[in-house]
Amino acid sequence: MGVSIPPKEADRLKNIVDENGGSSDEFDSEGEASEGSEVSEVATEEDGGSSGDEDASTSDGSGLVDDEDENEGSEEGADANGSSSDDEKASASVDDGLESGEGSGDSDSERSEVAEESDSSEDEVAPRNTIGDVPLEWYKDEQHIGYDIKGKKITKKERQDKLDSFLASVDDSKNWRKIYDDYNDEDVELTKAEAKMISRLLNGKAPHADFDPYAPYVDWFKWDDAIHPLSNAPEPKRRFIPSKWEAKKVVKYVRAIRKGLIKFEKPKEEPRFYMLWGDDSGAADKTNHLSYIPAPKPKLPGHEESYNPSLEYIPTQEEINSYQLMYEEDRPKFIPKRFTSMRSIPAYEDAVKDSFERCLDLYLCPRVRKKRINIDPESLKPKLPSRKDLKPYPSTCYMEYIGHKGPVVSISTEFSGEWIASGSTDGTVRIWEVESGRCRKVWEFDEAVQYVAWNPMPEFPILAISVGQDAYLLNTGLGNEETQRKVGELLHVEAAKVSDDSS
Amino acid sequence: MTKKDTAKKTVAKLKKNKHYRPAGKKREGNAARYMTRSQAIKQLQVNLSVFRKLCILKGVFPREPKKKVKGNNQTYYHVKDIAFIQHDPLLEKLREQRAYQKKIHKALAKKNEDLATRLRTREPSYTLDRLIRERYPKFVDALRDLDDCLSMVHLFAALPAVERLKINVLSHEWQAYVARCHKLRKVFVSVKGIYYQAEVEGQKITWLAPHAMQQVLPDDVNFSVMLTFVEFYETLLGFVNFRLYHSISVKYPPILDPRLEALAADLYALTRYMNGNTKRISEEQESGSTKPEHTRGQLEGAQFEESELRLSQLQHQLPSNEDRALMHLIEEDDDNDDDEDTKKCKKLFKNMKFYLSREVPRESLLFVIPAFGGVVSWEGDAAPFTEADQSITHQIVDRPSQGHMYLSREYIQPQWIYDCINFGVILEAHRYLVGRVPPPHLSPFVDNEAEGYFPDYAETIKRFEAAAKNEVLPMPGVGKDDLDDPQLLLAEGYLSRTEAIEVAERKKERATSEKQYLEDLKQEVQGHPDATASIAVEGAQVEEESSRPHLEQVAEDTDGTALMMMSRRNRGLFKAMKIAKDKKKAKVEKLKQRKKQIAEST
Repeated sequence: MGVSIPPKEADRLKNIVDENGGSSDEFDSEGEASEGSEVSEVATEEDGGSSGDEDASTSDGSGLVDDEDENEGSEEGADANGSSSDDEKASASVDDGLESGEGSGDSDSERSEVAEESDSSEDEVAPRNTIGDVPLEWYKDEQHIGYDIKGKKITKKERQDKLDSFLASVDDSKNWRKIYDDYNDEDVELTKAEAKMISRLLNGKAPHADFDPYAPYVDWFKWDDAIHPLSNAPEPKRRFIPSKWEAKKVVKYVRAIRKGLIKFEKPKEEPRFYMLWGDDSGAADKTNHLSYIPAPKPKLPGHEESYNPSLEYIPTQEEINSYQLMYEEDRPKFIPKRFTSMRSIPAYEDAVKDSFERCLDLYLCPRVRKKRINIDPESLKPKLPSRKDLKPYPSTCYMEYIGHKGPVVSISTEFSGEWIASGSTDGTVRIWEVESGRCRKVWEFDEAVQYVAWNPMPEFPILAISVGQDAYLLNTGLGNEETQRKVGELLHVEAAKVSDDSS
Repeated sequence: MTKKDTAKKTVAKLKKNKHYRPAGKKREGNAARYMTRSQAIKQLQVNLSVFRKLCILKGVFPREPKKKVKGNNQTYYHVKDIAFIQHDPLLEKLREQRAYQKKIHKALAKKNEDLATRLRTREPSYTLDRLIRERYPKFVDALRDLDDCLSMVHLFAALPAVERLKINVLSHEWQAYVARCHKLRKVFVSVKGIYYQAEVEGQKITWLAPHAMQQVLPDDVNFSVMLTFVEFYETLLGFVNFRLYHSISVKYPPILDPRLEALAADLYALTRYMNGNTKRISEEQESGSTKPEHTRGQLEGAQFEESELRLSQLQHQLPSNEDRALMHLIEEDDDNDDDEDTKKCKKLFKNMKFYLSREVPRESLLFVIPAFGGVVSWEGDAAPFTEADQSITHQIVDRPSQGHMYLSREYIQPQWIYDCINFGVILEAHRYLVGRVPPPHLSPFVDNEAEGYFPDYAETIKRFEAAAKNEVLPMPGVGKDDLDDPQLLLAEGYLSRTEAIEVAERKKERATSEKQYLEDLKQEVQGHPDATASIAVEGAQVEEESSRPHLEQVAEDTDGTALMMMSRRNRGLFKAMKIAKDKKKAKVEKLKQRKKQIAEST
């Protein structure tokens, strides 16, 4: 505190501070603010012109405090000096002063006094703010709120720390009475009377307790001596016959009620659920619409979806990386993870999405009944006979061609299928009739016959054979004379050279 | 006159040519039977969103015509399906609603707030019960389709929605029924949530309940579609619940203790409500019972007193605790009308008392443990008994370490409960103690044999079961009086007689084959005691050796030819099956390889 206070006054000061709800320091710093609560008092005091320098009070907060102290201290004198217009008020303040002089510092009475004073001088107190009727946010960033009569800035009060103000307010029991007036930038403490008035207003009563809303009516007009009526007009007809329009309206409503368009009682709330499937035996009746194909059930989870699967179900980091190289549709949708305790399982982020996808499947996917084949794939293969059972060749002897003395090396069938030529190691070539087994012709050579072959052209029945290092073309002598002649022309060689016909 | 003539002519034409059709007049075949979605919308005179809603509510889905007349990239609906929607009163109701909304909109636009609020009080609404009856003519049909319904309802119960409370109640009612009737069969904790499988009226119903966490709401989801589904499912589940509650003579909707409801202990409140109701009914039955039952009633009374005495010792006594105490006695009563599985499930956690710590998933365990016959309490308000209760046998904790421990109980992780349920046996607790990493949690929905791969822990459990069986076998006739022995209880409850016989047979077979093998060995060691036999054997061996490569060749050839001989359709099928099989095999191989790597690395 900047000023020295006489020890006698300290007690009283503390009393005031308590009333204002702030600590003594606060009081000190907010000299101007505290003026708000006491402003009316000060103003009246000034009216009285007893004490208080205007300059001092505005320029120096502590000065004001001092001033106030003086006021409070010398209340009796001041009031006695003061030319108060209202006798009652004067007496009240005198009383108050006496009480406070006794040292008890009864705050209630003091407040009431302040309220009464402020009540009377409400209009006289000019607002501290001189910016006029402009939006306050224009002065949001400024340090002042207007100028006083001497052109000095009226500075704003410093912003208080929220925490401090909260703590202060917690301590103070009368905090609820404090209201911040942001126009004048000051804390206003409501007096008890004011608070009462507000509560009365809130309850819908007249602001003053002594106002009687139910006062007996006083008829100021004199009826007794009147000779003439107030109006001489005859009573209109509509005053004494029932209204036509009303009747119409009534009829309309009556009809609506009869029709059931207007209902007076709310429909009874029926239980939402009831026994829908009472007896299933009757429900088997055939419906004539299409067959219902139930949706396939969602796939049940495997071991890998467990929150704590076996270690082998968890892919290694390389495998997870390799998934990136896959096509998107091949990529596994779910990568197993392992949590060692249930508390560490996180929320599954795709829960809603999965559910939504299932919904889409349910109403958008065409459904077709398909038979699921659960068979061994091997059973699809046709049963083939085993190789042993397959015998493409005849197994019994039908005909024997007897004549060769050595093993037969080569056989050839003639184009028509009538004749067979066979060559054997015994050096013979024979022509057989297929059907009868008769040997038609025999050629003999010195060496073993290696190969025999018929001419594939039907008009030249010639046989080619290879014997040792030689190849022979044999005229078989089959066919009619003309073919024989042709063959003869084709094979015509000089007789001497027949044996040397090798190539 | 002329008109008539032309009509006659056309009729004659039609008669002459059966397939004559004036252009754009009449269609046949797939073109007549199916229509695209836009055609359907045009026919119904609704917009797409209303059509979508109608389809969802009526359960109409697109179909696949054999011949897609309008092109491949169209959705086709059957004409009858669309007609089915068209004749539904719901369509008219939706139109009415739309018109009404316009009225309100108009009133608001004219700043006539009064009229708008008055209009809002009597908006036309519709009910879905007729649709449900139509879609599910029998109760079993409804149960069959309940999977999606339950999953969705449980998901929405976990979402932060305004209407959540109603849906939450529905899911709890279902859970309470399942728990009360011991219909739950399997539980699987996955990353996605907790899967439950129940068996109600012979139908296996599986649903997924998300973990109790904040759910992510993605942007690319059309919530109006989901809400339509939820609207339908909500009604369906309500009716299903009604029917189920009715079947166990409990009033529906249940009236819950508001105190418990406020504490969000809905499920507990529900179970208590149900037990209370059934108690009343059973009491009625008892009153009209004969003498032996009467004595049992007395016994019950004595036990009831006892339990009350015990309960009175508890500090936090609840007004209807005696209901719960009685419930167990009643449960023993109505054993008779349950099937084998239910009996088994009922007894799994019998005589066990669980206490849940703060950090375990309370909702799930409160549902699961009573479903298997256990008694459960939790840390928090309105709990039936406190942690200090000496009769608690198991405390479920999920924290790195437990501070104060009671010696009389076991401290286990929640996975123990789920594993016990899935394997149907009370497992040894030492693997699941506090602070340990529990053994892998296996899916109960996988058939390991079909899959071709047995995880290690499955093998361990199998061995454990077999060991339990061994102990049972020597004593077939166990009196009911020594049921208290846990081992016997285990045997009684979880191993059927047929299974035991099977195991014995398998063992016998193994024994005989072993014996034969030993004899063979002996013969080889001794040389050739029987000459002819050995020669025959050798000959066979020689033959085998010579024919082996040949045989392989033959097999390959026949495979090739057989493949060639198959019809084209069958060949495709065969190839597809083979690919699937190979994939499966590759998967198993991968698992085995990983396992090997892990074994090597450690």
